[in-house]
Amino acid sequence: MNEPIVHMEGLTKKLGGRAVVDQVNASVEKGDIYGFLGPNGAGKTTTIRMLLGLSRPTSGSIRIFGRDIRRERIAVLRKVGSLVEYPSYYGHLSAIENLEAVRRLMHDVPRSRIDEVLSVVRLAKDANRQVKGYSLGMKQRLGIATAMLGRPELLVLDEPTNGLDPAGILEMRELIKSLPAEQGVTVIVSSHLLSEVEQMATRVGIISKGRMLFEDTIVELRRKARSRIVFGVSDPEGAWRLLLVCGYRAEWDRVKLFVEPGGDEEVAAMVAELVRHEHAVYRVEEERASLERIFLDMTRGEGSL
Amino acid sequence: MLRMIRSEWLKTRRLAKWLLLGAAPGSAILTVLFGLSLDIGATADFPWKEALALGAVLYGSLLLPLLTGVYAAIVCRYEHFGGGWKQLLALPVSRTQVYMVKLAYVAGLIAFTQVLFLALLLLLGAMKGGTGSIPWATMLSAACGGWIASLPLAALQLAVSSAWTSFAAPLAVNVAFTLPNMLVANSETYAPYYPWLQPMLAMTPGNAYQFGAFGLSPLSLYAVVFGSFVLFLGAGWGAFFRRSF
Repeated sequence: MNEPIVHMEGLTKKLGGRAVVDQVNASVEKGDIYGFLGPNGAGKTTTIRMLLGLSRPTSGSIRIFGRDIRRERIAVLRKVGSLVEYPSYYGHLSAIENLEAVRRLMHDVPRSRIDEVLSVVRLAKDANRQVKGYSLGMKQRLGIATAMLGRPELLVLDEPTNGLDPAGILEMRELIKSLPAEQGVTVIVSSHLLSEVEQMATRVGIISKGRMLFEDTIVELRRKARSRIVFGVSDPEGAWRLLLVCGYRAEWDRVKLFVEPGGDEEVAAMVAELVRHEHAVYRVEEERASLERIFLDMTRGEGSL
Repeated sequence: MLRMIRSEWLKTRRLAKWLLLGAAPGSAILTVLFGLSLDIGATADFPWKEALALGAVLYGSLLLPLLTGVYAAIVCRYEHFGGGWKQLLALPVSRTQVYMVKLAYVAGLIAFTQVLFLALLLLLGAMKGGTGSIPWATMLSAACGGWIASLPLAALQLAVSSAWTSFAAPLAVNVAFTLPNMLVANSETYAPYYPWLQPMLAMTPGNAYQFGAFGLSPLSLYAVVFGSFVLFLGAGWGAFFRRSF
């Protein structure tokens, strides 16, 4: 098997005696869109800063393209593009000048590449305007363009949708999803939004309080998420008792009635039973927010989704 | 290295141009003009050494140290703004190189300022009818000496500017330490060790003034300049190298 693109082992960062990142293990395979998920302050940005050599791990190792980032930082960074926290830009320069200032620090990136990346993020029209007049979404897109400038094999994007409006988020997501196929890159994208990660990632790592709680494919995460059937009825307590008497495993939280999903017949039988006992059934729905529930359970409700 | 300097130029050219061409030596020359019109008037030949000595005090003790701080703040300004350090240092560049290029860039701006100072002084002399006997050696050594003696201050200000996530704070510190320059100059003991004063001491032609630290031998001045440059550069670079971004 090929060596993973990124491999972290026992990665720890202590700040003032407290472990902000604590024994994190993770690996990212070629072509992955790796969703790095966790509430604010969980240690995502700290981990990413260590990945990029901006900050030193207290202990543990990071290998990117099979090389130790601490020893061969420059060689590794030549093939990595990044966007850390807020987009970095020089406000008094135009998008072209911003990219040119970065291009001059890279090796063998032709000038024409600037137009290419600008058109990928659809900023070609505004390329000559000062960046300080850009909307946040445009600045983020410029950040992505900067990250892609050196034709990286690995893109590290820290909260790329932070502060964007829904249209901007959608746009950013489509752009990120298209990257591995079109440009052949591996992407690590961090987010505090489960729904975000769920919609673009192929693999997920969930981190909370500096610890990695879950790392697997998005399919596996979904499998863990059990859906349930929610009944809206006129008299939930009575209905709950009825269903229990009939031998169904129902739960009641004083507002709504839940049951574990069985087959379609089972649901139909429950509805028939309720109707026969003159309960008015307002709605029967399958609750799909359960992934969120798993995430909340894992992170013990801290932070917001 | 050259590519990095060109990248730096792209970022700072607007501000740098404005500062270099406008504010800096022009105002120094204006003060010289003012000073000369007071005591010399229309005497026979232009008093080059006196003009240089006067210029050195006004420009060397105030404008040059202030500008050095401004240049150091400028090269860090755009990195502090909008996460530039992170972007810059996540590129395939070494931190040492980044720091040294910034310092070299500041030194380059100071050198250019010195050239402008010299050019304007010559222009002024020519306008005032000074011809034949231009003391080239004195003038050049003053300009070069002032440049060399401002390097420790450049290293110190770069250390402060890169460490503080602020544009104004290092400048305020610089102003606060520049203003008492003429007071410090009276002390033979402390003046040579005061980085804000070293440029002026180096720019003043020998025997121009006979008080305080002005009588200092060039050799001991440059020894102190070299020592403090190494110290400030080492401290600034070390802190920059170890820092988390």
